Amino acid sequence: MKLTNSVVFRLRALILVLATLLLIGFTSHSIHAQFLHPKIKSKETTIRTVVVFPAKVNVVRDSMKGPEGMAAESDELSARVEKTISEVLSKQKHVTTLSPSTAQSGQGDAQPNYNVADFQTKFDDLLPKIMKKRSDVKKGRFTMGDEVLNLNLDKGTDAIVFIRGEGKKLTGGKTAFTLLVGGVPAYLKLQIGIVDARNGEVLLYTDPIFGGDPTTAVDRLRKALEKGFKKLPPAQPTP
Amino acid sequence: MFPKKSTSLIVAALCFCLVLTSFCPLAMAQKKTAPVEATPPPIREEFKFGKIDLEVLEQSDLLDSKLERDGLVLHDEPANAYLRRIGLSLVPKGLDLERVSWNFRVLRDPQPNAFALPNGSIYVTTGLIFLIDNESQLAAIIAHEMTHVMRRHTYVQNRSNRKKFLTMNIMAAVGTYAPGGIVGAVITVVTTVAPFILIATVYGYSRDLEREADLKGVDMMISAEYSPEEMVNVMKLLDKDIEGENIRLFYNDHPSLDERIKYLSSYLGARADKVTHQMELNRERAAYFGQMESVMRHDLQLAINAARFRSAVYLAQRLVDFHPDSENLFWLAEAYRTLGPRSPQLTEKELTNGAKKDAAKKRQKRTLEEEERELLETPVGKDNWQQHQQKAEEFYLRALNAENPVPAVHRGLGMLYEKLGRANDAASEYEKYIELAPTAIDRERIKRRIEALRRT
Repeated sequence: MKLTNSVVFRLRALILVLATLLLIGFTSHSIHAQFLHPKIKSKETTIRTVVVFPAKVNVVRDSMKGPEGMAAESDELSARVEKTISEVLSKQKHVTTLSPSTAQSGQGDAQPNYNVADFQTKFDDLLPKIMKKRSDVKKGRFTMGDEVLNLNLDKGTDAIVFIRGEGKKLTGGKTAFTLLVGGVPAYLKLQIGIVDARNGEVLLYTDPIFGGDPTTAVDRLRKALEKGFKKLPPAQPTP
Repeated sequence: MFPKKSTSLIVAALCFCLVLTSFCPLAMAQKKTAPVEATPPPIREEFKFGKIDLEVLEQSDLLDSKLERDGLVLHDEPANAYLRRIGLSLVPKGLDLERVSWNFRVLRDPQPNAFALPNGSIYVTTGLIFLIDNESQLAAIIAHEMTHVMRRHTYVQNRSNRKKFLTMNIMAAVGTYAPGGIVGAVITVVTTVAPFILIATVYGYSRDLEREADLKGVDMMISAEYSPEEMVNVMKLLDKDIEGENIRLFYNDHPSLDERIKYLSSYLGARADKVTHQMELNRERAAYFGQMESVMRHDLQLAINAARFRSAVYLAQRLVDFHPDSENLFWLAEAYRTLGPRSPQLTEKELTNGAKKDAAKKRQKRTLEEEERELLETPVGKDNWQQHQQKAEEFYLRALNAENPVPAVHRGLGMLYEKLGRANDAASEYEKYIELAPTAIDRERIKRRIEALRRT
């Protein structure tokens, strides 16, 4: 059977529309992906106060000779992400950020530092499992255990925020190369987990992403984070 | 048709090629296994710092501070001083290296590994310290790492990588190979600061540079009067794969361990150095364990945290063998309790590459609790669990009667009884723990457990 020109044109248009819809669906999903524990959804647990753990955001400069580390910029960005998350949670969700100072163990000054490092590692261990099936956060499947209590955070702390991220900044040459030949443009992808400070359950997981130079795009970062926490129910504002 | 003269020429040429192809591999093999006569001098005289090298140096300094800040450096002064003493005894006399300041540190990481940064920082993990037997083996590792610094291997490798575009997919490579546990944290930190350093320092330098470090390391050991054959023995120890991990770090992969043992043995034979008496090595072993006992205990906790339960049992048993009537019994009990329904040793089938890959995939999917639940549904898992809980209880009780019993024995018994459903016994053990260690870091957690148990 021979197709007429008009039928071919309609088919092409249909495929284009479908592809566009799929692309939009996929993109918006990856940008707005956020998963809440049933206790948060049912408002059995409300997050009012959090402690933000030091963010681990890693940015590399991608040049024609391969990626190069950006240690100082990564540290700066990590601090900015922590600060912006606190601001977004405070302004939009009325969540207070407490200082992460932990009680002394009586075993020397290094112990609290080790403790935080070990919990960061524990979250790093859990993260690939969450990533394998993010939607299982909604079933309350993931937990870091009651060992979180060993952190001896302030008694009023409801949750702990863990932040991971990776980004890429392109050099001029690499940008031109990417435009001509194709490739991954500059971006920043964050992975944020909010964990119950009393029993270690993962209460929220979100992974906002945005395109552009991660070291300079301050507004884009804020917007991505606002979208990332959109589903989190706000705590009651203090009168 | 070819004239007769041309045909003879072609036949001659073919014969020549045949002879060449038959003898070349033989010649190459001979070259490969030939004993090494001499190693290069400790310093790369011709090396001049360029802009790229200075960048690498700067990133190395940043890496030092980041490892420190992220809580990955162990603050155990006697252990760090011990490393420093061994390290400094290995430095060739009168050696002055531009932009190198020697620093020796223990890294909190249960994966056996060591690496050197070009600024002179040498890191040895707690996992490696625990695995080795004596000071000479530790000296072998440090000497190998120091050679990388003295011979400027990081700079050489970095220059070569930049030319070859080898660092292109390092992030993807790290994503693929970085395992869970604290080693993951160390690798992440190294990647953050300097991906190129990661290739060289954590995953290994090129074959030639590793070989140079091995052989030069032997020279340095001999000069400092350490038993040089321990360089070979440490390689053999590092080949132990207790956890069935899919990761191969540079000590056991690059060049292959067999090859390294072969050329090192050949080199030692060529040097005709004395072989240390076993009795002397045993004395050295006792001194080493005495010096590093606290680091080893610290590593046991890290191994348990990183779900390296089989390693924990293996290593705790070594500690108990060394110092039986002590706190070490508590650690062996902890290792058995957390091993739960898992088998204490992997079978040959479980150590095949395919099985390791499957296990790694499962580890990424299942949480530890899910893994234990699944195992407990099998008869083998149930049997293991019962045996390990019994052993744990036996060792906890022995630990209570050992010299200077630690309060944490009661916490361990509490956790054991809680899992066995003996709520009252568990609560009383927890209470004893709180009473004996009122300022313990986990007091809040244990108090909550007591409350929950008393409610039931």
